[in-house]
Amino acid sequence: MTQTIETGRRDFLIKTAAATGALAIGFKLPRVAQAADGAAQTPEVTHWIVIQPDETVVIRIARSELGQGTFTGLAQLVAEELECDWSKVRPEYADVNEHVRRNRIFKDMSTGGSRGIRDSQEYVRQAGASAREMLVAAAAQEWGVPASECKAAKGVITHTSGKRTTFGKVAAAASKLEIPKEPKLKDQKDWKLIGTSPARFDIPDKTTGKQIYAADVRLPGMVYASVVQCPVFGGKLKSFDESKVKGMRGVKSVVAGDDWVAVVADNWWRANQAVKALPVEWDVGENGNVSSESIKQFLRTGIEAKDAPVARKDGDAASALAGAAKVIEAEYYAPYLNHATMEPQTATALVTDERVDVWVGTQNGEATITAASETAGIPLENVYAHKMHAGGGFGRRGPHQEYTKQAVKIAQTMRGTPVRLQWSREEDMRQGRYRPVALVKLRAGLDKDGNWTGWHVRQADQSIIITVRPAMIKDGVDPINTRCFQDNPYAVPNFTNEYAMRNTHVPPGFWRAVAHTNNPFFRECFIDELALAAGKDPYQFRRPLLQGKKDLGVLDAVAKAAGWDKPAPKGLHRGIAVVDSYGSFTAAVVELSVEGGKVIDVKRVIVAIDSGHVVHPDAVKAQMEGGVIWGLSSVMHEEITIENGRVVQSNFADYPVLRLAETPPKIETIIVPSGGFWGGVGEPPIGGVIPALANALFAATGKRVRSMPLKNHGFSYKT
Amino acid sequence: MAVNCRIGSRTLPGRRRALRSLAAGVCILIVRPAAATPGELAAALRESFGDRQIQRGKVKLEMPRLAESGNVVPVTVIVDSPMTEREYVKSVHLFAEKNNLPRILEVQLGPYNGKAVVSTRIRLATTQQVLAVAVLSDDTLWSAVTEIEVTVSSCG
Amino acid sequence: MSRMGKARVRVPERAAKGEVVEIRAMVDHPHESGFRHDNMGRPIPRHIVESFTCSYNGREIFRAKLHPAVSTNPYFMFHALAMESGELVFTWTDDQGGVATQTARISVTD
Repeated sequence: MTQTIETGRRDFLIKTAAATGALAIGFKLPRVAQAADGAAQTPEVTHWIVIQPDETVVIRIARSELGQGTFTGLAQLVAEELECDWSKVRPEYADVNEHVRRNRIFKDMSTGGSRGIRDSQEYVRQAGASAREMLVAAAAQEWGVPASECKAAKGVITHTSGKRTTFGKVAAAASKLEIPKEPKLKDQKDWKLIGTSPARFDIPDKTTGKQIYAADVRLPGMVYASVVQCPVFGGKLKSFDESKVKGMRGVKSVVAGDDWVAVVADNWWRANQAVKALPVEWDVGENGNVSSESIKQFLRTGIEAKDAPVARKDGDAASALAGAAKVIEAEYYAPYLNHATMEPQTATALVTDERVDVWVGTQNGEATITAASETAGIPLENVYAHKMHAGGGFGRRGPHQEYTKQAVKIAQTMRGTPVRLQWSREEDMRQGRYRPVALVKLRAGLDKDGNWTGWHVRQADQSIIITVRPAMIKDGVDPINTRCFQDNPYAVPNFTNEYAMRNTHVPPGFWRAVAHTNNPFFRECFIDELALAAGKDPYQFRRPLLQGKKDLGVLDAVAKAAGWDKPAPKGLHRGIAVVDSYGSFTAAVVELSVEGGKVIDVKRVIVAIDSGHVVHPDAVKAQMEGGVIWGLSSVMHEEITIENGRVVQSNFADYPVLRLAETPPKIETIIVPSGGFWGGVGEPPIGGVIPALANALFAATGKRVRSMPLKNHGFSYKT
Repeated sequence: MAVNCRIGSRTLPGRRRALRSLAAGVCILIVRPAAATPGELAAALRESFGDRQIQRGKVKLEMPRLAESGNVVPVTVIVDSPMTEREYVKSVHLFAEKNNLPRILEVQLGPYNGKAVVSTRIRLATTQQVLAVAVLSDDTLWSAVTEIEVTVSSCG
Repeated sequence: MSRMGKARVRVPERAAKGEVVEIRAMVDHPHESGFRHDNMGRPIPRHIVESFTCSYNGREIFRAKLHPAVSTNPYFMFHALAMESGELVFTWTDDQGGVATQTARISVTD
């Protein structure tokens, strides 16, 4: 293995020639080298945009690339207004340290809530427009003509007289101008890039295996760490016997935290073997007796409590139910789920007396730099967070940065030596931030004509937001966990949504689509139960209740694509569902057959989205297909259970996810952008497919499944 | 790709604008406290200082720009004052713009302190601005505003 | 009267007359804000330190009024002009009538 470090220029490359081939990691060498090199560097036009003399347009991206295509979509928004040559665009991560030093100049760095486009579209388009105005002004100044007589297109500025220059030639002069505060944005009809699908920047390297993830980081002299954490959440480390592993091959040291202990060795395998052999005693505290069953009983106290905080109240549901011709009642349940990212949690840290460097596949650069700074006790200005593309994020790599803190803490004990901490798959499975359990009781009343007159929903579940932003809890109601109900679009005249919070010791987290994974299952399956009781078709039952809502547009779109007006072909059964979330509207139809009453063969999934505007249709399509797969995986397979206070599952053998052979042959995506708003796309497509599948399963079997996963009811997918 | 939990700050553009004008108002201009601040903070400022002008300057509010949890945020207030019998700081007041209660702390000082530097540790519910106001012995009011991002509350 | 936790102070043992000395004080106290919730989402009642004072040979030199947004185990750092040898008395009072006191001596040389 040979390693060389080339410094003295802005990017320093670490080349590692291993037996399997060469890996190269390029990252910005912050400050020191930059300062030394400053004169040779191209000045930025604005903090978002650097245009080099060779016309390369570097666009800085503050959000994280998790495979959702944000590097491409955000760059498109900038380039649309910049009027540069798209073929010259190169996106790069906005530097986190620079962001901190420049008073948070890149605004929001967190990547979650399907917010990448919808929350930053305005200021990134303005970034492009400002830079264009500056470049044009610089050219106009050079020519001594009014800027209004100049025009920019494809990176070329022209004057009515025929004068011509390029962005690269005037970039340095433009960088000296003041940034316009309120640049004029293009009219939608003039968009050329927004709404098209140029080749994505992140895909080629991922396809060829060239992509470097945090788990691929190799630095000269680096050592490796593997960790075990208290298996019962909230417990503490009591003792460990270092002497048992000190003599093991390659072992360098043992480092402990409050509730974890790690072994450092000369390679990860040795570190992991040693940490597994390390005798450790934990003080598990009072949670050592908690089980999935006891948690369910705890949730039940929320369902059975006389009163619960009210999230929404329209009319008088109690009277409506009392006066109903028919009352339908059901209880639904959803388990804990793990993110199970393909790349386990990983962070590499290098601590010296003056500074900290961390390499992390993070969903939030600010959270990473803060975790590293607070752990090391080194000011933010001296901490450098090198963002790596994440090998799956799904909400796991955002606010909770335990792995970053552990890596920094270990690296503090060996200053000057880089340490790569990588969690084992087992730790990753057992130390998650889980999609919470939920139990819900729904009661609805129909009048004699089958009209839906009253609805009462009592939710009992575990709050995530209370762990990170408790001020959002108002009068006991969690505004996130009640979504789908408190913002229910169906026109039911008498509706009460109650929320009983029941928090356990299991740490909850934001799992892709959050409450829009379980609540759509509860709501949309229950509505199918109502349609059945009313003797109506599930699609036709929903339609009049959604009049005037954008939900209706996507519902109609999937019904039309499925040919819902005609019966399904013999042996095939359909289910339908509609959900709005993260600013977008989605609906799904699942078409399946069931063999032997147990083996589900999903023939076709149709999913529609209205996200208002669409930046990169192909990326939206990919997110919809990915969302369908994510939903089909969780509804059938996924479940984290608790025994003796700890997670039972340990790896993909007992926490399976959807396999290729189980994936439906047809996932049809329908993008119906109605314009005028910017909705998210990373999470919304998930919600619809889960209840649509359960509803199709009912159509096929007559069996109403009210708890996930389906495997617990004896079902499997055909492979 | 996980959550939208920015309800408070994200879906209320009007409030966002109000905060910007709070920063602009208190920080850059001489304003009456009630001029353009979000309701509760404005009320607290009015209750403490009536219609008196709060000027920008003379106060330094040292805080990290980012904090992980917001449970323990170190804060130091430094007021530019000789702290003599004739010229000193009478009190220092700390306010949080987006906490449930805007008041954090009030401290009485005098020439016997020798130096108008006070540190403490505070709780911040979420990403927001913190305002420090110092009342001087000539009864003028001076201030500083600092914005802090609470990273755990940014979710996902 | 409810009990309060241990109080710790740091005052230099000696100082020159006219010197500005740094003082640190902390009390163990939950300083429960009233805005936290139990595991069923119910608010945990407020229990906060309301005031903290420091007097130097009987003269009050520091007074803080605390609201819920001060962190658990309230901590203060402030300064005093060393004028004469004597005693500093620190007093914390909470909203349930709990009081904690701590003293420290300083010897001042000309």
